[in-house]
Amino acid sequence: MAEMLRMEGISKQFGTFFANHDVNLDIQEGEVHTLLGENGAGKSTLMNVLIGLYQPTAGKILWRGKEERISSPARAVELGIGMVHQHFMLIEAMTGFENIILGSKVNPSFTIQESKDKKKIQELMDRYGLEVDLDVPVGEMSIGMQQRVEILKVLYRGAELLILDEPTAVLTDQEVEGLFDIMRSLTSEGKSVIFISHKMREVTKISDRVTVLRAGESVETLKMSETNGQELSDLMIGHRFVESVYDKVVAADKPMLELKGVSYHPNEKHGGLKDVTLTVNAGEVLGVAGIDGNGQSQLAALIAGLIAPEEGEVWRNGQRVSIYSPDDFIENGLADIPEDRNKMGLVGDMTVAQNLILKETTSDKFSYGHGLWLKTGAIQEYANEKKQENDIRCTSVNQTVRSLSGGNQQKVILARELEGNPPILIAVYPTRGLDIGATNFIHDRVIAARDGGCAVILISADFDEVLKLSDRIVVLFEGQVMGEYPGVNPPIDQISLAMAGK
Amino acid sequence: MEAFLSSMPEILATTIRMTVPLLFVALGELFSERAGLVNIGLDGLMTIGAFTGFVVGYQTGNLWLGVLCGAVAGIAVNMIYAFCTVNLCVDQTVMGMAINILAPGIATFAYKVVFGDGSTLVQGVTMDKVAIPLLSDIPVIGNAIFNQTLLAYLCYLLVPLCWFYFARTRSGLNFRSVGENPQAAETLGINAVQMKYLASIVCGALAGMGGAFLTTCYTSTYATGVVAGRGFIALAAVIFGRWSAVGILGSTLLFGFFDAVQISLQIAVPDISYQFFAMIPYVFTIVALFFFNAQKGGPKANGKPYFREER
Repeated sequence: MAEMLRMEGISKQFGTFFANHDVNLDIQEGEVHTLLGENGAGKSTLMNVLIGLYQPTAGKILWRGKEERISSPARAVELGIGMVHQHFMLIEAMTGFENIILGSKVNPSFTIQESKDKKKIQELMDRYGLEVDLDVPVGEMSIGMQQRVEILKVLYRGAELLILDEPTAVLTDQEVEGLFDIMRSLTSEGKSVIFISHKMREVTKISDRVTVLRAGESVETLKMSETNGQELSDLMIGHRFVESVYDKVVAADKPMLELKGVSYHPNEKHGGLKDVTLTVNAGEVLGVAGIDGNGQSQLAALIAGLIAPEEGEVWRNGQRVSIYSPDDFIENGLADIPEDRNKMGLVGDMTVAQNLILKETTSDKFSYGHGLWLKTGAIQEYANEKKQENDIRCTSVNQTVRSLSGGNQQKVILARELEGNPPILIAVYPTRGLDIGATNFIHDRVIAARDGGCAVILISADFDEVLKLSDRIVVLFEGQVMGEYPGVNPPIDQISLAMAGK
Repeated sequence: MEAFLSSMPEILATTIRMTVPLLFVALGELFSERAGLVNIGLDGLMTIGAFTGFVVGYQTGNLWLGVLCGAVAGIAVNMIYAFCTVNLCVDQTVMGMAINILAPGIATFAYKVVFGDGSTLVQGVTMDKVAIPLLSDIPVIGNAIFNQTLLAYLCYLLVPLCWFYFARTRSGLNFRSVGENPQAAETLGINAVQMKYLASIVCGALAGMGGAFLTTCYTSTYATGVVAGRGFIALAAVIFGRWSAVGILGSTLLFGFFDAVQISLQIAVPDISYQFFAMIPYVFTIVALFFFNAQKGGPKANGKPYFREER
């Protein structure tokens, strides 16, 4: 196998901060090379250097043995480097076809020659098994198909090296299998793939070699055949990683939250709820499994009091809910870890301390005169206490919350929501985009809340997470509850089928 | 009423003529917004174009040179906007307002430098109308539609050209992507910054020409306020025209029609003060925007600054 790419001693500095420091990476022809690292380990920065979005502060890049300066994304494309970004770089208003030919100089004609270009794309689709509906606007495609458009986009430009940045994060299990098939057919044709992920199960399955990054530096490159998941986890976090294991409980019949035949926009496939009935008891975790976009967002909004059901009833602690407002729900002890921490959970430009007390600005503890005048001293003291307690890593609680990593942002939300032992907790995708260390911490806290008697409803598209934490599991498909399953020895095959609507 | 009806061909002719400045500027704004720059400084750009067009046309006796210089002046002023919004990422609305305040100031000052502080307006000439053979012989409407200045014909010709550019060419597709998602465009090797400058050049030129049309083809003089908010009407016309060249032709014709109606009403009904009729196009603008969801359908990244190395 010939060497395709070598990055030597790459550093990238932002101000005084090194996002990459002396990183080395080499890619052989026809391999799947995994880039493994926690959030903030510098994977994205390194890739942005490789595709010419960032200029490295130091270091050199050799492409097929020749030193190159990748001055722009256009240069990277010329060389044959293509990236599929984690957040797709697609234009939703344009069709699949338009997205694929966009900006390419493959066909230099002045006007768009649709039939000629489509023929070429069709060849690629057939060759690598990439099925895409070219005439549909990308915004109307499924996530899986959008990803295939992204892959076609880079292949169309003649990419030899494909960078896939956390490509499985948004996919269902079947779609992941499909993606792996595509990756294998790419490498069998001599193309190489840089696979970025921190899902160990997938990494061990698809990788030929793995390079581990930690705190901006490359730690080691290993052959997958000579290592294992545990070793990689340890290398990634820098010490022995011990994953928590939780006992499952059977809670007493003490319903804290009940939905009785609740419907909301029942005719919408991807944003409605149809006759949903479920119960969460004190001291248990009810896991709601299902593929993203099957009514999870609406279920979460409903339980948080953001929307009111069109039919059916919601009962809270044995009382029927009549007022649907988040304010009233909070008053009644509902804690909410929302699905999008940046948009719904935190105010990014406010400080850690301010975010921590957002729910209690009118309390006597933090203000005089029912919120008229904030007690800054008390707020500081409280925030520092919470910082210690929750291991929130920041230089000061007066730092804006935006400047924190995702894991630490989530800890801020958790600290705020779990204050005062709320009787009901709704956690929606609580560990989305978090690394294994932070994920483990969040899981520990959720289970601790459960053991303290909290009724927890966990909504997650991460099936492993649901299996790990839930005492009971329900599956949501197209807005309907497909069935209820025990948390102990759950029938995994049956649940998988239910998630696909069978 | 009878007088009003008999003036229909006249209204039609005026509609065609009064649409031209709006169409010029709205097409300019189309380019700007398709690259993600909401330029509300159109009024200012038009003012500069109107003034420059008049002065150059008056001094050299060559109105076409005046229009050309109006376009160049529009580009020059719009480069201030482009530099501040694209390179410095200044808020586009604030910058557009700055242009609206700056440009008329420059124009008024320069007018006094050139023509002195007299109270009478300097009178120039307007372009000759050119009747298109055969077509202008069509009864009733022929002479109304096909007897315009060359600049007006040029303006209408831009509509199919713009449509073709955005809908059928690779370059047009790339251009649109910058207004939709500049980050994505850059990853595909499209230089978003360059595109935004290109958009600003086209926008400045067309807005300058729209202004110059007013002083070289409509009035034969330059007076402060000659633009009369047409830049803002054009802004509304872009939204109303759904960000497409053909749609914009339709919407500017509608706005031009209301302008023509108010002009003929001013003449036909002298008992009512003319200011009342002069409101019509503006009232219609508000009504049109009221019934139209401006948020929908526009370029996604419109109005948002673009930072290259954003972390």
